[in-house]
Amino acid sequence: MKFQRSAPRVLIFSVAVVVIGMAVLSNRLFSGLTSAVEQDQFELIRALWSFNLTAAENRALERAEMIAALPAVREAFAARDREGLLAQCAEMFKRQKERYGVDQAQFHFPPAVSFLRLHAPEQHGDHQDQFRPMVVAVNRDLFSRKESAIAGTGPAIFGVTPMTDAAGRHIGSFELGMNFGPLLHALKAAYRLEMALFIEEQALRQLMFAEGLDPDVLTEQNRRGKYIKFHSTNWALMKELVSEGDLSGPAEAQYIRSAQDVPYGVVLLTLYNNAGNPIGKVAMARDFSSSRAAAGRSLVWQGLLALSGIVLLAGVILIVVRGLLLRPLEMLSQQFVKLAEGRRDQPVAEAETLCDEMQALAQAHERLRTKPQPFAADTDKEVSP
Amino acid sequence: MRSRFLAGLVLSFALVVPGYAELAEAAAAAPPDSLRSLPVGKGLPVVVRMGLRYVEVASIDETEAAYTATVDLRLRWQDLRLQYPPESAPQGFLEFREETAAAKMAEIWTPAISLSNLSGEPSQQTHGLRIFPDGRVEMMLRTTATFETPFEVERFPFDRQRLQVEVVSRRESVQRLSLEFEQDDLDFSRAPDSSELRDWAPGVVSLKRDFVNGWYGEDLSGVTVSLAMQRRAGSSAALIFIPLLASLLIPLLAIWMNRVEEGEFQIEAFELANVIVGGLFAVIALNFTLNAEYGTLGTSDNTVRRLFALNYLALALSLIVNLTLFRFNLPMRWFGRYVQEQVFLFLSWAVPLLVLATAVAFLLVAMA
Repeated sequence: MKFQRSAPRVLIFSVAVVVIGMAVLSNRLFSGLTSAVEQDQFELIRALWSFNLTAAENRALERAEMIAALPAVREAFAARDREGLLAQCAEMFKRQKERYGVDQAQFHFPPAVSFLRLHAPEQHGDHQDQFRPMVVAVNRDLFSRKESAIAGTGPAIFGVTPMTDAAGRHIGSFELGMNFGPLLHALKAAYRLEMALFIEEQALRQLMFAEGLDPDVLTEQNRRGKYIKFHSTNWALMKELVSEGDLSGPAEAQYIRSAQDVPYGVVLLTLYNNAGNPIGKVAMARDFSSSRAAAGRSLVWQGLLALSGIVLLAGVILIVVRGLLLRPLEMLSQQFVKLAEGRRDQPVAEAETLCDEMQALAQAHERLRTKPQPFAADTDKEVSP
Repeated sequence: MRSRFLAGLVLSFALVVPGYAELAEAAAAAPPDSLRSLPVGKGLPVVVRMGLRYVEVASIDETEAAYTATVDLRLRWQDLRLQYPPESAPQGFLEFREETAAAKMAEIWTPAISLSNLSGEPSQQTHGLRIFPDGRVEMMLRTTATFETPFEVERFPFDRQRLQVEVVSRRESVQRLSLEFEQDDLDFSRAPDSSELRDWAPGVVSLKRDFVNGWYGEDLSGVTVSLAMQRRAGSSAALIFIPLLASLLIPLLAIWMNRVEEGEFQIEAFELANVIVGGLFAVIALNFTLNAEYGTLGTSDNTVRRLFALNYLALALSLIVNLTLFRFNLPMRWFGRYVQEQVFLFLSWAVPLLVLATAVAFLLVAMA
């Protein structure tokens, strides 16, 4: 082992290991902070959806209960006067549809027989107890319910309330469905969320609701595996963020993915109807570029600081070990070699600049160099037998 | 004849107001039952859906923070008073263009919408109008003009700029007129099909709803449309970064060119100081040139400014090395010739390494 090479190497290697270790640890801590911030963002997105969906359900139910409580409406429904009921409600429904996203409204006889669809007055008399369990439940239990479900013209947020006649006898129910579109756009406007609603295609087709749907919905461009994109605030973006694999995954998922060169945090939630059966998924995405860029910048700066630390400490090691110890030692060794060779004419130069320990060696060299030499004959005598 | 004159007058007024391309609208003066009053048939606020397509982006002027483009603004609303029998329009709608559109617009209500970030007057502006039997109105406005837009160059040359068009309701508060957009408006809002700009690659168009402060504390509805433009980093690399990185070598050369034997430097300090002073002038000249060519780079924190700062720092460091080591031999006086020798050997590789690592870090931070 040559100390001149090995010692600085060992020291610099140790410094490098410690500094890199600390940099990695520091980066992990910062990444943890970034992840915590992003996790909060994911939780916020979930909470926003849950709160606004519940609010929309409440609005649907409030409207349904107000309409169902109107005496003229109750009277016409109790009298099974379809024309009279339509006359009472048509203008109201038209305005609600145009301005507030109300998409569907329907009167049912128990258990779930359509009496009048305000959104399609010509269709009535069909039994819906197979696919509208909530209507059946409301007419059975006689209290109001709300849910997200697939019905007439597609998925909607429903409020269903039982109806009674003037004497208080149960006569059926009234449901009001609100389109998901305004909800998604309101969330986008308020929170800059990009959103997409995916509905299981089989459910749409099996129930033959497609006749009430916009035919543009059931197209190949909107298909994502078994799901159909029913509504989106920005489909060009969302189709990059949500793949078939993502939709076929767990009921709830969150991930970060780049689309159009911007990283987005995506939350996928399953939509359930009142019976607990999944009807589709909603995808929500938020721009995560600020946190991702901060993490990237932090990684670069930490790497540069670590490198600077290693280089500066390596410099200190090299200057101290070589400049104060090894190079003076090498010089003194050469001086002692010269002395051993009998060359006494060269003193140690600038000995006062050496460290104390080296100065002691230099002084020893100087004493040896200046010590008077015995005669050669005396020496020969002592050596010769 | 009279209606044409009136339409021309209204359009002329809209076009001469600097900074705004306000559409003809006379609702404020119109009686409530007039076709030019606010269409409240569907209640308030009147929802005007809008989309904006970038037809062409002709040029981008970073120094002036502006760009010249041709855009199509599409506005759609429903005015129930304009309903007519479908048989009257075999193609499904009544269409008006240019003068006839202007004449029709003078007869009916149209939203008072401005492109509020116009720089000067539009060089060209044309109108089109379609009215559907159910009262839906679709108005197209093609505008060729220079638009002011904010430039953020912190990530230069890997930056992405947003070429904005700010669409604002000029008169009606958000309680009376709401600018909105849905999926088909987003589908309409597209980037140019092709771009003549060599240094920029067009991306996607995004829309964002805004509120603008109006008179008496009212909020006005607005939508900011942005076309993302990704800068092609390659072209600026040759113009800016090669000279900048090359100039970084000058102070390093002033250290490298010297050599040490037994702690004694072999080249006179003043010769190396000349190299440093020459480097200083080179960096100053480069700085002036870039500030003149890319004004925005000189006004905010960005990679180029950081690299200039690094250049000056490297020159200062080199000067300190020159003075303390080569001229006054301070390490040798204080700690001996061997310490000085090791300090020089250390600096001759550590300074270039740290300077180049910092330069690379600046670029990586811009890419992050």
